[in-house]
Amino acid sequence: MAGSNEVNANESKRVVPLNTWILISNFKLAYNMLRRSDGTFNRDLNEFLDRKVPANAVPVDGVYSFDVVDRATSLINRVYLAAGETDAPWGIAELEKPLSTTAIVPVIVFFHGGSFVHSSANSAIYDTFCRRLVRTCGAAVVSVNYRRSPEHRYPCAYDDGWAALKWVHSRSWLRSGADDSRVHVYLAGDSSGGNIAHHVAVRAAEEGVEVLGNILLHPLFGGQERTESEMRLDGKYFVRIQDRDWYWRAYLPEGEDRDHPACNVFGGRNRSIEGLSFPKSLVVVAGLDLVQDWQLGYVKGLEGSGHEVKLLYLEKATIGFYFLPNNDHFHCLMEEMKAFLHS
Amino acid sequence: MKREHMSHDNFSSSGSCSSSTKPQMWTCDADDELFAVLGYSVKPSDMADVAQKIEHLEQVMCSVEKDGLSQLASDTTHYNPSDLSSWLESMISGLNTTPDFDSGVNSSAQMVVDSDFGSDLTAIPGKAVYPNPREKPPSPAKKLKLSAPETESSESIVMVDSQENGIRLVHSLMACAEAVQKENFKLAEALVKNIGFLAVSQAGAMRKVATYFAEALARRIYRLYPTNQDSAFTDLLQMHFYETCPYLKFAHFTANQAILESFAGRDRVHVVDFSMKQGMQWPPLLQALALRPGGPPRFRLTAVGPPSTDNTDQLQEIGRKLGQLAESINVEFEYRGLVANSLADLNAALLDRREGETVAVNSIFDLHPLLARPGAIEAVLRVVTEVKPAIFTVVEQEANHNGSVFSDRFTEALHYYSTLFDSLESCGGGSDEDRVMSEIYLGRQICNVVACDGADRVERHETLAQWRRRLGAAGFEAVHIGSNAHKQVSMLLELFGGGDGYRVEEKHGCLMLGWHTRPLFATSAWRLAS
Repeated sequence: MAGSNEVNANESKRVVPLNTWILISNFKLAYNMLRRSDGTFNRDLNEFLDRKVPANAVPVDGVYSFDVVDRATSLINRVYLAAGETDAPWGIAELEKPLSTTAIVPVIVFFHGGSFVHSSANSAIYDTFCRRLVRTCGAAVVSVNYRRSPEHRYPCAYDDGWAALKWVHSRSWLRSGADDSRVHVYLAGDSSGGNIAHHVAVRAAEEGVEVLGNILLHPLFGGQERTESEMRLDGKYFVRIQDRDWYWRAYLPEGEDRDHPACNVFGGRNRSIEGLSFPKSLVVVAGLDLVQDWQLGYVKGLEGSGHEVKLLYLEKATIGFYFLPNNDHFHCLMEEMKAFLHS
Repeated sequence: MKREHMSHDNFSSSGSCSSSTKPQMWTCDADDELFAVLGYSVKPSDMADVAQKIEHLEQVMCSVEKDGLSQLASDTTHYNPSDLSSWLESMISGLNTTPDFDSGVNSSAQMVVDSDFGSDLTAIPGKAVYPNPREKPPSPAKKLKLSAPETESSESIVMVDSQENGIRLVHSLMACAEAVQKENFKLAEALVKNIGFLAVSQAGAMRKVATYFAEALARRIYRLYPTNQDSAFTDLLQMHFYETCPYLKFAHFTANQAILESFAGRDRVHVVDFSMKQGMQWPPLLQALALRPGGPPRFRLTAVGPPSTDNTDQLQEIGRKLGQLAESINVEFEYRGLVANSLADLNAALLDRREGETVAVNSIFDLHPLLARPGAIEAVLRVVTEVKPAIFTVVEQEANHNGSVFSDRFTEALHYYSTLFDSLESCGGGSDEDRVMSEIYLGRQICNVVACDGADRVERHETLAQWRRRLGAAGFEAVHIGSNAHKQVSMLLELFGGGDGYRVEEKHGCLMLGWHTRPLFATSAWRLAS
């Protein structure tokens, strides 16, 4: 019996509810089986094991969804909207009118996590999360099914994110507001999705496309250096440094290291974002996430560049705390997001 | 969780509604709801045990060599990952039965080795499995017969077309269906005429779909019901559909895989095929059986089909051809054709169950028509149980086109066929003729769903969830289709799919093939519950 692993299992079990522990551990187990040391990935088995759900134009708990396919690229965006009283007959999305002509309805362009490799917009965990977002935050959500590594490395995910942002801005039926009817866009993402949100926001700022805010849920950043949190928390709460390393090797261009600008955002290989109209950010850090030093460094980097950022530090949270609504962290997150989107 | 609509779980209201089984959430030991929405079935009472299994696996995995784990994962066939407890259990046994694990993975005979049958099927260049090598499909410019560039927009919505006219078109169709529902035929008539104009302004799949639905609505409004379908012509149309896109090939392949596995180690096998048509499914199975280690079994095929409308005996003719193939590959073959107007006319005695034979029953799209007559499905399922099959393979459309409310049926069908037509537009297989005939094939289904009722409405598609309930109530339990079949289908799709929108998904031990995120056809396998 490997003693240190026994301790780890017990430790993580103490801080999360049992079903959260089962859920995240199950992912960890499956993912361990899918990664190969030569950097290749068992994509078929990954897709087989992933639990997916179709879109549903019939409202369930007040939220309905439908998928939009870009014929040219086969990219899919899954749109989630709140069912209203004035909706067209059952099953049809009212796509001729704006979301509202009186109030502002934020539209969240959401990038799911999975370390750039796992999950899809139609993965059950993310479909469920996006539905909860619509309900709790009074927003519309567009979940982007970006291309994943190792088959599609940097910068594919960012390109797909950018295409999705442009697409969302051009939809008349996502507009809202009384006088200044336009699409009120926010970017959001967890893990790799948070990383994508940042980079898309930078490009948006550089090219003059409006993004009203960024919400980064334990975003994936890193660097060559081993930070204190990485060493202290290695293997303790579902994640090992070696796993993180594998995913960066799968995403970054071959031959690159983790100080690549995609990964080490404020590490000096990026253009400064000072002076750009970069959106305000809400950065959520889980206190038991080994990557937190990089995330906290990111917050400092934003502040240092003169940009507004709020840090939500959830001390006892592990990664994936938001998949199940059975803990205080989840409810806290929803409240903060709601406030951020409507401030 | 409260729901406005229990999406695809509506019980159909044909005369043959299955007896009600209590919805799971009312029983004491129901699946945990939080897990259920995430796609997993775990009972609260099992959670501690599941956690223990995970911990056990984590500990064992630590002692495994570098790539031992991923090797294990690749070599093992995984089943029904939603059922966490059994999935974890299967991995624990997979690890336990492998000796010398530390020195690298030893693919022990006790682990489920999956690749034999699959590689047989792929190695065989059977025409039935792979499309004929054809000339490249015509380029879009040729299709338009103009030198003008492609007029279709580069963005299109799976559910609803984003172009303005597209939306108005869909709204008009919906409004018309609503008017028909309310028996406001004057309004419906006005709307259906307008739809005709709007449809013409559309391009591609949307136009075709709208045209078929508009025609079907018109038939319903003017009571010009379509006459009974000529089954020989439908069979011919289905052949073209088979050539154009991978759905039927997928169905045959997956069903054959399940049948092959159930025939493992058996010397005498009997396939009862409810869906003989042109017999396309059987050559690859015969070839795989011919090549299996230990040699082929004695193979008997009982094919059920409708009476021929001309003077030929189609059923016998196809049987003869299959017999010739079997002889050429040294498989002992016995054949019998059973002519029946309806499957409900069958009885077990006719199927001639023999001692010592392993039986497979096969149905591709032949169960849902039985829902048009009260008692028919129950009768047929009873006959199947009496034959005591080792496996009962079922392929059906993944949609609920059998709801009791007309406008609901209409909307479901509109979404379903829009997606299906969309995939036809994009997939490259078959000739122009194949594609046109495929559209007619689907158009006739649309007409039946929308314009017909009572015994004439035979396209009573129901979802996998609904079929699982019916088959469960009839005494069957699922035989899970695993990751090996999933992988092979994925590979075949890549090689022969003709378009990159096809997706295969696993659900409750069954496989579903769809277009992008919308599952369209489901294959399941069943046996008698112990």
